[in-house]
Amino acid sequence: MLAIDYLDKRLKKKDTVSNGDAVSTDIEISIRNLNVSFPDKDGGEPVNALQNINLDIKQGEFISLLGPSGCGKTTLLRTIADLQQPTSGEISVRGLSPREIRLQKKYGIVFQNPVLYDWRTVRRNVCMPMELMGIPKKDRTARVTKMLELVGLMEFGKKYPHELSGGMQQRVGIARALAIKPEILLMDEPFSALDEFTKEKLHEDLLRIWKKTNKTILFVTHNIQEAVFLSDRVVVLSPHPGRVSAVVDIELERPRSLEIKNTPEFNEMVVKVRKSFESVY
Amino acid sequence: MKRIKKFFQSNNLVTLVWGIGLIIVWEIGAFIIEGSKRSPENVLPHLYQIVASVFSDKLVSNNQTAIQIVMSNAGITLFRAGIGFVIGAAVGFLLALMMNLVKGVEKTIFPYLMIIQMIPILGMAPIVLAITKDINKSRIVIAAILTFYPVATNTLAGFKSVDPQKHELMYSIAASKFEIYRKLLIPSSIPYLFTGLKIAAPMAITASILVDTLQGGGGLGCMLSQSLRHAMSIYVFWQIVFVSAIIGILSYYLMSVIEKLVSPYKRAKIKG
Repeated sequence: MLAIDYLDKRLKKKDTVSNGDAVSTDIEISIRNLNVSFPDKDGGEPVNALQNINLDIKQGEFISLLGPSGCGKTTLLRTIADLQQPTSGEISVRGLSPREIRLQKKYGIVFQNPVLYDWRTVRRNVCMPMELMGIPKKDRTARVTKMLELVGLMEFGKKYPHELSGGMQQRVGIARALAIKPEILLMDEPFSALDEFTKEKLHEDLLRIWKKTNKTILFVTHNIQEAVFLSDRVVVLSPHPGRVSAVVDIELERPRSLEIKNTPEFNEMVVKVRKSFESVY
Repeated sequence: MKRIKKFFQSNNLVTLVWGIGLIIVWEIGAFIIEGSKRSPENVLPHLYQIVASVFSDKLVSNNQTAIQIVMSNAGITLFRAGIGFVIGAAVGFLLALMMNLVKGVEKTIFPYLMIIQMIPILGMAPIVLAITKDINKSRIVIAAILTFYPVATNTLAGFKSVDPQKHELMYSIAASKFEIYRKLLIPSSIPYLFTGLKIAAPMAITASILVDTLQGGGGLGCMLSQSLRHAMSIYVFWQIVFVSAIIGILSYYLMSVIEKLVSPYKRAKIKG
């Protein structure tokens, strides 16, 4: 089935699907007929990383891009972030181009690696993007404190990144991304390098932060459980060429805690997502 | 017991063995040359004699003791090497910045700069002297020439080894080129810059001493050749040799200390 059919179905269903009161139905990111291809290194045919992607993301939505490696999920995120240029098609974010949104500093990005500046303390790492925005020092200090409180790193402000554990470093990355009050949080497999315990803790933290800040979150992952636990909707991508093969609504109640993973409803959703994969292969 | 065990496991033991080994070799040499009695003064004095000469009040020339001569000339040499080093480091850093900023500069300039490094100091000295027409200036210039290259290469390597994701992070918050340099490239190239400075500092001093030997005007190298020719005192010669070695090593450690001062995160690494 074509991606566009899924989209049409979903759009028809739109009024009946409810994602809770906090989520409005305003479209924040709209992707139309997006194609991204990379030139082949040996001079052959260009490689299609993404083919004919159509997707609408609502304001305040938590959406996961799920798929095996090579399915273009990171490419999709990077294209939305203006780190990668589309070959054809259109992305509009609040009616503007990704580039305009980037220049307005409306994106917060969290990478797979924390990407911290090792010569700066935790506080000054979180502070860095605000320095570029010309926010006065007093306001910066107050905001850094608030952010560290949010991610639970109040006592570690004066430490250097290498003195922290991997999970803590990733929290600093999240705090830094949130510090500039972005409209959209783009997360590229942020927890995939962490151990299971740290990951689960950060999942809960992320949902708490999301609820508190009401950001639109785009979350790239290859972990089905992770996608189901966190998201309102899971966009299933399949590789060669990268395309949307299904969009699964996760009808689980919020707020969610780790216990939800033991419920049959959760497992049903996991199975549903997994099946939408199997139909591809 | 623990302390002794720790001592034997540490590098201190290796240093100690090396030190003792060198002293033994030196002393054997000193005894042999002393026995040959070919020269009026002992050309290779015992180590204790050299140490004693440092503290002796005996005037060697111009109403100065040996150590006073050595120290005043070491000051002259260090001053010249220092100025040359600072100029060379600044030029090297700016060059690396230029090469990274302007595409093409690296390809057009860098390979030819390497040629300058291949010319031996003693071959370069007359050329520089002909241009500057002043031996003291050319001493400074040569120290600078030897400094800029390791500083430039290392700093450039530092700029290039910045994690591309850190670049993307800056890009994603729409940082300007100037901001990227100020907040990311320059701070992250600091360890590389210091690698260059650590290589260059002893080289600048060596160059300065070598060029000293060519003409008068004071300086360790100048005194070194004079002390041999005029048989001023063999102890002046040996003191210069040791002082030169020591300031070369100290210049390296000075760079390490400055590096730790400007990059506090490295100190945190040692602590915990």
